[in-house]
Amino acid sequence: MNPPEAPYFAARALHRHFGGIIAVEEFSADLRRGEIVGLIGPNGSGKTTTINLVAGALRPDNGSITLDGRDIVGMPAYAFARAGVGRTFQVPRLFKRMTVIENLIVPALTDTRTSRRQAEARAREILAFVRFEHLADAYARTLSGGQQKLLELGRALMLRPSLLLLDEPFAGVHPRLLDQIVEHIRTLSAQGYTIVLVDHNLDAVSSVVRRTLVMARGRKIADGPSEEVLRDPAVIHAYTGTRKAMEPH
Amino acid sequence: MAFRRSHGLQALLLVVALAAPLVAGPYWVHVGALAWYYALLAASWALLAGYAGQFSFAHIAFAALGGYGSALLTLRLGLPFALSVLLTVILAIVLGALMGALVLRLSGPYLALFTLAIAEIFRLMLVAEEEVTRGSLGLEVPGLFSGDSDVPYYYLGLGLVLLALLGMNGLLMTRVGLFLRAIREDEHAAQASGVNTTLHKIIVFVTTAGIAALAGIYYGHFIGILSPNMVIIPEMGLVIAMAVIGGIESLPGAVVGAVVVYALSEILREYGEWRFVLLGLALIIVQRFAQNGLFSVVERYLDRRVAPAGKSPAGVESAPNMEGEYEPS
Amino acid sequence: MTYFSLLSVNGLVMGLIYALMAAGLTLVFSVLKVVNFGHGSLYMLGGYASYYAIGLLGVPPIAGVIVAMVALFLFGVVFERLVLAPMYSDKVERKDEYAIIVTFGLTILLTNLGLVVFGPFSKSPPAFLQGTLIAGPLILPYDRLIAAVIAVVILCGLAWFLARTSLGQALDAVSQSRDSAAVIGINPKRMYTIAFGLGSALAGGAGALIAPIFALSPNMGELPGVQAFIIIVLGGMGSVGGSIIGGILLGIVQALGVGFLPDPNRALAYTQAFGALLLILVLLVRPTGLFGRAHMRLE
Repeated sequence: MNPPEAPYFAARALHRHFGGIIAVEEFSADLRRGEIVGLIGPNGSGKTTTINLVAGALRPDNGSITLDGRDIVGMPAYAFARAGVGRTFQVPRLFKRMTVIENLIVPALTDTRTSRRQAEARAREILAFVRFEHLADAYARTLSGGQQKLLELGRALMLRPSLLLLDEPFAGVHPRLLDQIVEHIRTLSAQGYTIVLVDHNLDAVSSVVRRTLVMARGRKIADGPSEEVLRDPAVIHAYTGTRKAMEPH
Repeated sequence: MAFRRSHGLQALLLVVALAAPLVAGPYWVHVGALAWYYALLAASWALLAGYAGQFSFAHIAFAALGGYGSALLTLRLGLPFALSVLLTVILAIVLGALMGALVLRLSGPYLALFTLAIAEIFRLMLVAEEEVTRGSLGLEVPGLFSGDSDVPYYYLGLGLVLLALLGMNGLLMTRVGLFLRAIREDEHAAQASGVNTTLHKIIVFVTTAGIAALAGIYYGHFIGILSPNMVIIPEMGLVIAMAVIGGIESLPGAVVGAVVVYALSEILREYGEWRFVLLGLALIIVQRFAQNGLFSVVERYLDRRVAPAGKSPAGVESAPNMEGEYEPS
Repeated sequence: MTYFSLLSVNGLVMGLIYALMAAGLTLVFSVLKVVNFGHGSLYMLGGYASYYAIGLLGVPPIAGVIVAMVALFLFGVVFERLVLAPMYSDKVERKDEYAIIVTFGLTILLTNLGLVVFGPFSKSPPAFLQGTLIAGPLILPYDRLIAAVIAVVILCGLAWFLARTSLGQALDAVSQSRDSAAVIGINPKRMYTIAFGLGSALAGGAGALIAPIFALSPNMGELPGVQAFIIIVLGGMGSVGGSIIGGILLGIVQALGVGFLPDPNRALAYTQAFGALLLILVLLVRPTGLFGRAHMRLE
């Protein structure tokens, strides 16, 4: 199993280019088990590509990814999920013409040892967590934007992920629902999930994480306690092109 | 699964199909027997394209593979019928798996073009390799039943259709069916949820290739002659039209579509090519106004509910019979 | 060697006409993200439009090409508005599938309509110019020469149009990103209509050019249709220049293939199969064609 000194999750020198553009360059990061970190950066900084690399949706040109002692680079995308990487998408990708319950049981059923009844039972637990029980039989496409994000979160949780990657969970969400999402993420972190949170809403991110990674132009330019990172001149410069201090308002 | 009025309709249609040869003349029995060939192809194609989202134009090539394969094994190598059938189906399954693996990285129109090219190459091979296949002259295939009547073929065909429907439905009711629908809805999301999309696409190709091969074997022995013309693109177009008009996401819908389209094409035979003008028009119009096919329109109408007691607190409807929803039926 | 150059020249002529057709298909694909499976039947329609324009309206043969292109442009516009337009909103659920089915339906409709209206027997419009050019070892009927020249003219015109006119650049903008184009004031829906009309016109023009050379029949579009698909996969779905090069190459290679393979029956079948084989190999290696940009879904 995982030797105590080694980090729970480790990305080493991830590198990915598209045509002539280098999207991610020399990205490395360690996470302890149960840690929750934010990943921020201006548009085009490579955040989503990094998430895609860690989730296995893209193959890195170079570099390695280790999760709980397992080297997972090179496996097909679905195997990443089975290895414990759960993720949500920037724009929720639900199974629109399937019901909420059906959306949830799909990941659980990919384990052939799980019976349908077991999957549905777990799905109802998740539904209780996101407070959706009354929507169990609704079709996913009838849900509002915020509800879809929550459903997607629930679906990722069905895998009992060792690593949870949340890609812009706060984007375009109604303020009231946003508080709910923040609360859910805090609960998950308290339960011990290892989480990487990508978003532009610095307010919401800093209310949940204590450590923040910053990317700009494909590279990681900062990694540390959130308050320090947000005051780092390099980070400010990356975002605004100026040296003005950037406070979450 | 709750009994719905649409199930009643399907039962009724089954009874009609069983009884038809008793009242219809030999011409219509012949038409019916041939319709089952198309029904097998349309239903299996609906599984492939409608459920698994693989818009393959090579489906009919598998039918030809079945027909020619079994016939050639029997005629040229002298193998007993049952063995020829078995070997041919196995060959079709293996090639189906290969096809599934090859088209993995392709989607949408690329997949359609790729499979179209494969079908064309297969057809041209059948034409070119005259010594083996007798090319355009046609390969004669002995019948299965003694006597002149088509009635035994009719019931054989119907039996095959029912078996195929049961088999495919059975598959769909398992988690495989759920995964197929997920893949069809959003393949990336399905992968991110742990679904082995590769394996499942191959499962579908394998299943449908096997069914298509059986259909081709049935066709060969029934009609008595095989020619490369069974693989021309308009033939594939006919199958697609049948599935689309009947219902691309409904296996019974595709069967009904096949029977109706084929029967109509016979009824309107005296109008010559106008039948197919009508078919093309019908295809466009049905796609435009009833993307899930006409049979599902009928089913929805039968299963419509009286206005629900009220919407749930989130303001979200939960009627299970909304447009476009499908379940294995 | 003379045989080789004769074959190549004929192949070049055919290649240019293929290129014309493929350019139209590519234009439609790059702007609308739709592979028009009915493209072959538009080619056929163009041939007949030219034939009837010459026969019934007394138009000179070369002008028949123009009539065909105009007629097919209008037809394309009507089809796009009536049948394709619903795809752009959310009325249509599975857009890729819809496009394939609906354009395939167009083929079925037009081919059989052709059989009924025009009759199954082939028709030949009058030649562009009677006679044959004999220049040293080169023997080329004038029809083919003129067809090639007109094809080149149209293709150059197309290239100029796409690169230099604002409308052409607008089409290119939409082909790269519908949303960005909309932001700068281009109406994507109008561009879709224009692109489909233009693509149809190009197919119609190709049909009109081939008509005196090979005679018309209602299913004359089947094989060229498949060739066009092969070409755009070879040349790149989305690259007009690539499809032109691909068309010319395919024409030459096919001509040489028929000329050099020993057994005529197999030669014909396998030459046709060759193109299809090429398509398969290309797609296996590069699922988006040789020069193509990645397939973007119609949003």
